[in-house]
Amino acid sequence: MKSRRAAPWITLVAIAAGLILLPLFMPGGSLDLNPLSGNRFPFHAGFIDLATTVLVFALFALGFNMLFGHSGELSFGHAMFFSIGAYAPALYTKGFKVDIAGLHLHHDATNNGFIALVLALGFVLLWAFLLARLIVPRSSGIYYSMITMAFAQVIYFITFRWSELTGGEDGIQGIARPVLPGLPANWLANSTHFYIFTAVVAFVAIAANYWIVRSPFGSVLHALRENRQRARFLGYDVNRYRVNAFVLSALFPAVGGWLWTYLQQAINPDAGGIDYSGRVVMMSLLGGIGTFVGPMIGAFVYWDIQNSVAQQWKYWPAALGAVFVVFVLAAPAGIAGAFVAFQRYGFANSIRRLFSREARLETDLAEELPAREGGP
Amino acid sequence: MGHLAESAGVLHNVSDQFFNGVTLGMLYILVALGLNIILGLMGVINFSHGAFFMLGAYMAFTLAPHVGFWPSMFLAALIIGAFGMLFESTLIRPLYRRIPEYTLLLTYGTAMIFEQIVRRVWGDDAVRYPNLPNYLSGSIELGSFQFPIYKDVFLVLITVLILAGVWLLVNKTNIGMIIRAGTRDAEMVKILGINMPVMFTLVFGIGSFMAGLAGALAAPVYAIIPSLASQWIILTFVVVIVGGIGSFWGAIVGGLIIGILSSLMELISPPAVELTGFIIMGLILLVRPRGIFGVEGLFE
Repeated sequence: MKSRRAAPWITLVAIAAGLILLPLFMPGGSLDLNPLSGNRFPFHAGFIDLATTVLVFALFALGFNMLFGHSGELSFGHAMFFSIGAYAPALYTKGFKVDIAGLHLHHDATNNGFIALVLALGFVLLWAFLLARLIVPRSSGIYYSMITMAFAQVIYFITFRWSELTGGEDGIQGIARPVLPGLPANWLANSTHFYIFTAVVAFVAIAANYWIVRSPFGSVLHALRENRQRARFLGYDVNRYRVNAFVLSALFPAVGGWLWTYLQQAINPDAGGIDYSGRVVMMSLLGGIGTFVGPMIGAFVYWDIQNSVAQQWKYWPAALGAVFVVFVLAAPAGIAGAFVAFQRYGFANSIRRLFSREARLETDLAEELPAREGGP
Repeated sequence: MGHLAESAGVLHNVSDQFFNGVTLGMLYILVALGLNIILGLMGVINFSHGAFFMLGAYMAFTLAPHVGFWPSMFLAALIIGAFGMLFESTLIRPLYRRIPEYTLLLTYGTAMIFEQIVRRVWGDDAVRYPNLPNYLSGSIELGSFQFPIYKDVFLVLITVLILAGVWLLVNKTNIGMIIRAGTRDAEMVKILGINMPVMFTLVFGIGSFMAGLAGALAAPVYAIIPSLASQWIILTFVVVIVGGIGSFWGAIVGGLIIGILSSLMELISPPAVELTGFIIMGLILLVRPRGIFGVEGLFE
């Protein structure tokens, strides 16, 4: 069977193009056509920040998808890495003073974006590694999802309750954006500049993710997803791969968290809450679990929905819940998955496959593929 | 003398927190056992279980002024149980052929919807349960200790009765035999000619009934707020993990341990109360990953 995958450079060029064009596709929030408002452009000024937000969550979702989409394990607590990745730079930049059991820990405000990133990655790496060593050999399947969800609550409650360090419910405000070498001190204060900065970071991270999932390591993850038993028989140290996948998938939310802190210039415990873990699951589901571009498409569509519905309807989370229900029941392969199906079965057959089991069997037989009932 | 009074005060605090923990533990047991039966037989997890608990509390709150205390409690549980059966047969049934994670995703979505519906109907703020009947609202005094009748006596008695009922149902009836057999090997039971989809719906109804009843019992004790759903579901997961997936005694022991220890933590370090359950879960995972009463191999 010939490979249906695009050549690596085409994908990366397409992603670079997507990053450049993304701000043009953002909704204006509210169109401002009132000539008296003194606004030069008929857009609400927030729209470029929304594009940056999409990128941050695209990174977050990429990490999540590496686990659920590529190795078949549903982590329902990935927000903990996002939260650690956001709090580490926030505390480093803002400084803190805290007593632990008579030990005075003290750190002055500093501003070095690079060290902040290293700290974010370092803390996430440490926590993810310890956690993976604890839970990977002891759980799988739905049990794994429950445990990751529960451990994410640990991070949430620490950030929520340890007010002395984290500012508690209000979190930390007034975090300065970093200064880039060779550029004016407040260069990143501009929304457009910050978008450019985020896009460059995101491109590097996306390329790294792409390289990982297409490497031999990524192929082993796919093998684990399809049949863990068989992978074990082939001689792969299954748990070692699962631990590595967990740790690697935690690093992308960490980068996302680092950018999120600087974008918002504030951080609060919500970043590690169950809502954020759920959101990123939803983005992957929307975009297409197990496809490479799916989570990024999902992040874009999610924020589009959120941005348009949330302003008009107080009970907008219900709309998100409905999206979950509809996609799980009718389109588990997501938006990107739909395109894969169009390519494979043709448009009419893809639609028929949604509604009739016979059509699924028929088209699968024509393709000589085993019949599948959705799933990554 | 002063020293004696001080230690008596400490004893009172410990006793109060201990019994608060027992109350909490009873509710954890009901919710976790409901989740556990479903999980054991069907291998799926219902994230909306916490929402059913919350809906049970709101139902009891709404019905109590109209039909009285006793009918409101059982009507609330019955409504939630029936709703659970409808929920299972329409939304969850199409997912059995898929990997179980999809059920988690779907029920996560529905939990979001239920929470928003509750916010729309009853508002964002806590609602207050109307007064309890007189014979339940007082306290029993033993020496200088006081035990609120509803919390420390009534709630415990009802829970024990329900647990006895579930135990009898599972261990002494034909339906129970099918449930136990199905937990071991659902495929085989199906081959023997049992209508498994009907069993699944029934068991889902029983599990939802217990969540609804726990909510109704909790309504007079705790603040009734929409966020109860997400708070309780995660703690229920913790109880299930600590006690052991699919285990009757596991849910009981897990619920009591987590309820009592997290209440006692209030005396040691109030900010760490919420962490107690998770710390216990971490320790259990280290020494006994299948949970205290869990069956080896299941979900490991």
